Amino acid sequence: MTVFALVKKEWKLLIRDWHALLLLFVMPAAFILVMSLSFQNKYTERRGVEVHYYLINQDNSLASARLIKDLLLLKNFKMRSSHASFSSLAGQVQRGHAQFVVSIPNGFGRFMQSRDPLPVQMVAGPTVEPAIYNLFEQVLRGTLMRVYLNQMLAPLNVARLKAGMGLQLGVHYAAVARLLHGVSLYQVNGKSQRPTSVQQNVPAWLVFAMFFIAIPLSTTWVQERQQGTYLRLRSMGVSAKALLFGKMLPYLGINLLQVVLMILIGVIVVPWFGGEQLMLGHAPLELCAVSVAISLASVSYALLISNLVSTGEQATIITGVGNLLMAAVGGVMVPRFLMPPFMRTLAIFSPMAWGLEGYLDVFLRQDALRPVVTNIFYLLLFSCFCLLFSGWLLGRRRRG
Amino acid sequence: MIEIENLTFRYPEGEHDVISGLSMRIQRGSLFGLLGPNGSGKTTLISILTGLLPSVYGQVRIDHKSYPQDQYDIQTSIALVPQEYAFYPRLSVVENLFFFGQVQSIPVKKLSARVCEAVTVAGLGSFETVRAENLSGGLKRRLNLAIGLLNQPQLLFLDEPTVGIDPHSRHFILETVRKINNAGTTVVYTSHYMEEVEALCDEIAVLDNGKMLACGTLSQLLVNAGKRGLIVTLMSTPTEQQRQALLVVPGLKIRGHELCMSHCSESDLWDLMELLETEKLSIVCMKYGYGNLEEWFLQTTGRQLRA
Repeated sequence: MTVFALVKKEWKLLIRDWHALLLLFVMPAAFILVMSLSFQNKYTERRGVEVHYYLINQDNSLASARLIKDLLLLKNFKMRSSHASFSSLAGQVQRGHAQFVVSIPNGFGRFMQSRDPLPVQMVAGPTVEPAIYNLFEQVLRGTLMRVYLNQMLAPLNVARLKAGMGLQLGVHYAAVARLLHGVSLYQVNGKSQRPTSVQQNVPAWLVFAMFFIAIPLSTTWVQERQQGTYLRLRSMGVSAKALLFGKMLPYLGINLLQVVLMILIGVIVVPWFGGEQLMLGHAPLELCAVSVAISLASVSYALLISNLVSTGEQATIITGVGNLLMAAVGGVMVPRFLMPPFMRTLAIFSPMAWGLEGYLDVFLRQDALRPVVTNIFYLLLFSCFCLLFSGWLLGRRRRG
Repeated sequence: MIEIENLTFRYPEGEHDVISGLSMRIQRGSLFGLLGPNGSGKTTLISILTGLLPSVYGQVRIDHKSYPQDQYDIQTSIALVPQEYAFYPRLSVVENLFFFGQVQSIPVKKLSARVCEAVTVAGLGSFETVRAENLSGGLKRRLNLAIGLLNQPQLLFLDEPTVGIDPHSRHFILETVRKINNAGTTVVYTSHYMEEVEALCDEIAVLDNGKMLACGTLSQLLVNAGKRGLIVTLMSTPTEQQRQALLVVPGLKIRGHELCMSHCSESDLWDLMELLETEKLSIVCMKYGYGNLEEWFLQTTGRQLRA
């Protein structure tokens, strides 16, 4: 009887605590869903990976037709044909709308077997991961080799082959290697370079770390409310605005310290251990602006959470799990273009995605000022929304 | 000093009024006790008086000033000491005091002196550098009170300032409150401890369900209640004949050698004394009077104050 009463009591307590239900059911469900979908392609031998590239064909030979036919058979690399100019498509790739531009030059087929072939141009976007760059390059080289061999073997008579006659194919190995010329739009000191994993990872985990400031901020705010210090400060005439800004400023400072520290690690510490050095690009103002915008977004988000929840435990769990979800959706754990289409759409709404894209704009895209401004605008808009909502919640709390 | 007229308050999502048509006055310099069971509206009333909640219906004036137009003036001249330990546990005693002084915009030149004064009044001299989280319950209460003294308030609201502390610390706080009041500060004191309010306050208001049950000095409240009880303990148990003689007095109850009357007028008392003399019954002890607030509240509402 006692146990029954205890179980009944516990059950009632549990079903009346919607925060607990949220944490027990909704959060893990969302987490499983997002994580599974985000990592799906990473763990299924890249099945379903959609790396997009533009193809420009200026050649009318059989070889180029064969090359295009073979490229269309690739499952994971989606071709987008376009009649736009090369520079225009390179601009699209620079902004991340696709990962590569492949251009088949006029005369490609005609000079294919010569000592001096006209190479197919492969231009990679500045944010393309080194692994994806290498993968696509190898796939293109393999396809080109097939086309090359087909081209070479086609005129040979099968009967002569069977008789073992005339098998002097005359392969120009050095020329075959020159069939493809790949470059990245990422530049260091004006020269094209392939971005390293450091260029990708440092900004990703930096954004992740900056948003984790939400945990200490929200828990201390909730504690102040519970301990009565908030009430006391209000009775002393301290305005809600002053309270909000008094909370925000120190944490903004901490966020910016994080930025400096993480960048120093990328620039100084990683090379000590044999890694590549983080290159900062040439836009210090944009770098500062993105950092401040991310910081404002993370601090405002923390204030909103702390005004929505009732206990420190709720604040810790909701901000922690929320951050992991935002990171998974926002491309911190898996690059966005490796995600399924639905997840890529969802990523548009993750503040971490805006922050990460902002940093990639500065570190990798470099001269793409417009996307930086757009991402900063989104972050500031998010911050304003969170602050206004927090202010409204504070006012509501004050009214009773 | 505080004038409340026909004040009514209901929380936005509430179904009924927490304070309903309340009118009262608190004189400057008084030590005013605000009593009432849980949910009676005490904390809501204090929240309205300190500007934490808006008074939508009715009028509240403090020194002829009103919320919200005179909010700054009012809040700089009052202080609230909440029931919770409203300070930062990881800051030391002095750090807490300096912080709360600074947010009240006390000039830097005056702040050190004010902190010293608050530390002295609250008897925290030996604990200035101790982190608040390491103080005992009694010392935490004193720090809570000390913070409320920083702006030298003309009006001090103390919300259950002695909850959960030992008798020694409670005595210290009560003495400190008395001294603060003697120095000219008006004190509004809420408590569940009737004996504290009886001993400390010169005027008392009792709230119940957001309405004022009574207001006045302790003796006024008890006299107005109009019931004086009587308990007489006799040397020996009365015989049946003596019992019959005594029961002439209306309302008298006899239990063994104890005589009780829940309400006993002066004439009834004299009649009873004469009968006891006639029947040669000797008195061991006698208690006659208006009782206390606890009994008065029980009689008036049928409920315990601390329920």
